[in-house]
Amino acid sequence: MDDKFDVIIVGAGLAGSAAALKLAQAGLEVVLVERGPYPGSKNLSGGVLYGRILNDLVPNYWEEAPIERYITNERVVFMTEQASFNIDFKNQAFKEAPYNAISVLRGKFDRWLGEKAEEAGAMLVPGIKVDEVIVENGRAVGIMAGDEEMRSDVVILADGTNSFLAEQLGLRKKFEHSHMAVGVKELIGLPRETIEDRFNLTGDSGVAYGIVGYATQGVAGGGFLYTNKETISIGLVMHLDELIETGKKPSEMMEEFLANSLIEPLIRGGKMLEYGAHMVPEGGLAMTPQLVMDGLLIAGDAAGLSINNGFVVRGMDLALSTGISAAEAVLAAKKKEDFSAAGLGIYRQLIDDSFVMKDMKTYAGAPSFMKTERLYEAYPEMLVNLMTKIYTHNGQPKEHMVPIAMKSLKESGISLFQVAGDGLKGARSL
Amino acid sequence: MAKEIWVFSEKPALLAELIANALQLAKADGASVAAVVVGNQQVIDQAFAQGAQKVYALGEKAADVLLDDFIPTIISLTKSKTPALIIIGATRQGKAVAGRLSAALDASTITDAKYFNQDSGGIEVTHLIFGGGAIRIEKANTATVVMTQGSSIVDALPPNASAKGEVESVPFVQPAWKATLVERKQKPPASVNLAVAKKIVCVGRGIAKKEDLSMAFDLAGILEGEVAATRPLTEGLDWLPRERYIGVSGATVKPDLYLSMGVSGQAQHTVGITDSRVIVAIDKDKEAPIFPQADYCIVGDLYQVVPALITALKARK
Amino acid sequence: MNIIVCYKLIPDSEDMVIKPDGSISLDQAEQVISEYDLLAVEAGLQLVEKNGGKLMALSVGTDKLLNSKSKKDILSRGPDELYLVTDASLANADTSQTAKTLVAAIKKMGDCDLVLFGEGSGDLYFQQVGLQVGELLGLPTFNAISKIDVADGKLTVERSLEDEIDVYSISLPAALAVTTDINVPRLPSMKEILKASKKPVVEWSLQDLTITGDGKPRVDVLAVRAPKSADRKRIKIEGSPEDVAQTLIGYLSKEGVL
Ligand SMILES: Cc1cc2nc3c(=O)[nH]c(=O)nc-3n(C[C@H](O)[C@H](O)[C@H](O)COP(=O)(O)OP(=O)(O)OC[C@H]3O[C@@H](n4cnc5c(N)ncnc54)[C@H](O)[C@@H]3O)c2cc1C
Ligand SMILES: Cc1cc2nc3c(=O)[nH]c(=O)nc-3n(C[C@H](O)[C@H](O)[C@H](O)COP(=O)(O)OP(=O)(O)OC[C@H]3O[C@@H](n4cnc5c(N)ncnc54)[C@H](O)[C@@H]3O)c2cc1C
Ligand SMILES: Nc1ncnc2c1ncn2[C@@H]1O[C@H](COP(=O)(O)O)[C@@H](O)[C@H]1O
Repeated sequence: MDDKFDVIIVGAGLAGSAAALKLAQAGLEVVLVERGPYPGSKNLSGGVLYGRILNDLVPNYWEEAPIERYITNERVVFMTEQASFNIDFKNQAFKEAPYNAISVLRGKFDRWLGEKAEEAGAMLVPGIKVDEVIVENGRAVGIMAGDEEMRSDVVILADGTNSFLAEQLGLRKKFEHSHMAVGVKELIGLPRETIEDRFNLTGDSGVAYGIVGYATQGVAGGGFLYTNKETISIGLVMHLDELIETGKKPSEMMEEFLANSLIEPLIRGGKMLEYGAHMVPEGGLAMTPQLVMDGLLIAGDAAGLSINNGFVVRGMDLALSTGISAAEAVLAAKKKEDFSAAGLGIYRQLIDDSFVMKDMKTYAGAPSFMKTERLYEAYPEMLVNLMTKIYTHNGQPKEHMVPIAMKSLKESGISLFQVAGDGLKGARSL
Repeated sequence: MAKEIWVFSEKPALLAELIANALQLAKADGASVAAVVVGNQQVIDQAFAQGAQKVYALGEKAADVLLDDFIPTIISLTKSKTPALIIIGATRQGKAVAGRLSAALDASTITDAKYFNQDSGGIEVTHLIFGGGAIRIEKANTATVVMTQGSSIVDALPPNASAKGEVESVPFVQPAWKATLVERKQKPPASVNLAVAKKIVCVGRGIAKKEDLSMAFDLAGILEGEVAATRPLTEGLDWLPRERYIGVSGATVKPDLYLSMGVSGQAQHTVGITDSRVIVAIDKDKEAPIFPQADYCIVGDLYQVVPALITALKARK
Repeated sequence: MNIIVCYKLIPDSEDMVIKPDGSISLDQAEQVISEYDLLAVEAGLQLVEKNGGKLMALSVGTDKLLNSKSKKDILSRGPDELYLVTDASLANADTSQTAKTLVAAIKKMGDCDLVLFGEGSGDLYFQQVGLQVGELLGLPTFNAISKIDVADGKLTVERSLEDEIDVYSISLPAALAVTTDINVPRLPSMKEILKASKKPVVEWSLQDLTITGDGKPRVDVLAVRAPKSADRKRIKIEGSPEDVAQTLIGYLSKEGVL
């Protein structure tokens, strides 16, 4: 057997498997190393994948991929301790292929994508943790796992948020707390009919909730709830530095969230099947590391590429997209047999031109906007107060809408000036 | 010929329990109970004293002969007499007898059978699968049913030294192959018999160092009980001898008090403690599966709780 | 020397679903190599490394065995070749059916000096199949083997019984079931995992083997269910270690177990 391969990819998450699939299709010798017993075994996501990019990688993927539901209904919920206010968005177009968004379970979905890569000829090596990237003369030439080494022209790091390999190589700084969020998620099992009744779903359609306000008890972040076939994915994503300040544990926040009177009926009678917590890079563009060095590329969460705007956590589609771009860059380098940083340099350009960077730029302000405290306490309060006044019939003549709104605003202690400011900031970042 | 139920075990104490069970089962359909014995007159007398109505005497075993050498004789005897059921003591040696016998009879053995029930004609037994995670109810459908039974499933009867019965000598069948015994190392005699302990302090991987086991021994000392463990502490870590571990592959216990510290409570372990009268669990993980299976649940660091408990118990005396 | 090691693919008990009526379902469970059999594989591997020869893995069961992940999994642990016998009727095979199928396969595989088994299958744990196979093949057959050495065409084995450890000298060929402490199986390396997908796999159906007998189970399975958990009091004791100790002592005296 050859001792040297064309490409070694570390991590069979979506970024790694997407790159492996693409490279194997082009006939390269690709080794995909994954520390878990199978791709997806250790991976955690809320679970809504904005799937158009997947269609580029696997045309008509919906015919074979293990999809839970097609998201046809997106809801944003502003909640206080006792009340909530929903924005409910349905789009008939979401019901048609290629679907806008799908809910997935990583254990099944990543596994499927890994198998696609294997079918195309990539060699999957599960159960092996890569300890080190071998660097000779400033150039990555392979990997070490235990006392074994394996060499290749190019190494692609797709090892997720905690990529200590990128850190080891000095390609990125240790993430600061202010650039990280912690995600907690539970998978709750319920009979299919119950889910469909409760959420008013037909067939394989599904709903995605983004929950802002009391969900995180003032900590910057949000909650989510996604429907799957026979399970519900539910969780919280919270900024790490603020969470630390509150002194609360993520698991405690989660417990309180699940017990909330708005959430509890949605999951009532369900059985907790999985629980997990994971870091989410949240610094946005500010924390993107150096993406290329001689003989090496970084893709997916390892590259710090994910978006959290409070309502939507996105990272899977970005992981797929950067995985594809990394593969394209390797193929371009292969043509010239130049695997130096310059030879692979087109990677940055491919990303910049893709929706990834465009979206990253669009949301560049999201992390700091999300930290606007008003978003978590005052606004939900205000909206809820407003609605309470409008809908409370106490025999008194109804005031006009605008005065009611102004009164609510006044009671919430937010100045009009702030509203305008936040509105602008939010409009720019969301 | 009247129906016979046979029993076989190289361990006298277990043989007594098998006879007791066989007598129970025989009552239902008027069968008689015979013991298959490898050993001298004393062993034969003992079988009668425990209630056997007949003994098939295979002869004495010389020290350098293996019990396995008698298996062809047992096979040929079973084939010629077709007993309805043969219950074999579930030791390692007994399982070898059972396996080779059932292959020769074109049967299957049900090993480690529990809760014998014969309401439906034939004998239904339960057998734990997935390390105690599930129960299977099984019924063998061959002319001779082969089963193995472990210890402490049925209590032995009080011996009756004057009981006698028919002894049928069975000629030795030369085996087709033989292994040569090169050496026999006696294991040190078991220092505990957990099966009869009234109080048990059980340690699990929550104990960080071997030295800390002294804490468990101190507590057991005050309680006048025994120290037991989960498997990882005995196999793998080798901190304690094998005979101290509880579970599917270890001992089954039924003490008045079972107190665990740092035991997560996996099914493979807890199947061995279900008959305990009072279960106390100390574990720092409030989600540990041991808690729903315990009477008194203490979520805490054993390194704080156990010393406090020792102090308080000492003060009480 | 040529060694055959028999392994079983079993549902991962972590994926066991207990239904409200107490019955269990393993339909969705991941299939894994029974843990005890990995020690038999390792034992075979060590013998082949020391004495030369070939290690062949053998399993019988349903077409779940044909899954490429599990084939790669077993081969990455060292065997040179893999033999699989599959048939839908083997889904709930009892020890007798399994043993007879293994015997037919072993005969068809040709010359072999040693057949190895795990202590028991991780799901059913009858600890019987190895002994039955050995007896049906007429080979010297032992269980509870905790050490194996080969010299001059003979085996020297240690057998770990309850009260004693015996050392036997046995002629080859033989059938042995190993204990859970015979060794610590090594983890597959990257190179072995990569090699695994290139090793030969022979797949047989029951028709490919000449099996005599009626094919009927000798043991009927009447029910499979979750164990009933005893009703426990589940009283939480909270507070400082000292308070906890006092409260517990109070309860235990009341129970009369102090
Ligand atoms: C709670 C939560 C909710 C989220 N919700 C969503 C959502 O709804 N939608 C969305 O699009 N995104 C969501 N995300 C973000 C999304 O999960 C990530 O962006 C995505 O998983 C990134 O994919 P990846 O392939 O880059 O990395 P990962 O999925 O993290 O994969 C990395 C892989 O590398 C392996 N690995 C790591 N280190 C090594 C090593 N040393 N050797 C070998 N293998 C290694 C890991 O086992 C893993 O398989 C969420 C994240 C969290 C935490
Ligand atoms: C086929 C099979 C058969 C088996 N047979 C048996 C058997 O017969 N018997 C058996 O015991 N096992 C058996 N096992 C193993 C069994 O599955 C478990 O792995 C084992 O019982 C776990 O042991 P444990 O509870 O000591 O360790 P763990 O599961 O690691 O639990 C340790 C516990 O200690 C707690 N802890 C840690 N530190 C502290 C502290 N400072 N204070 C308080 N608590 C602390 C942790 O929260 C945890 O709950 C078998 C396994 C298999 C697959
Ligand atoms: N279906 C099977 N295929 C191959 N080997 C098996 C099979 N079932 C059991 N064995 C072997 O027989 C041993 C004992 O199994 P059991 O009698 O079921 O406890 C196992 O450890 C395996 O080595």
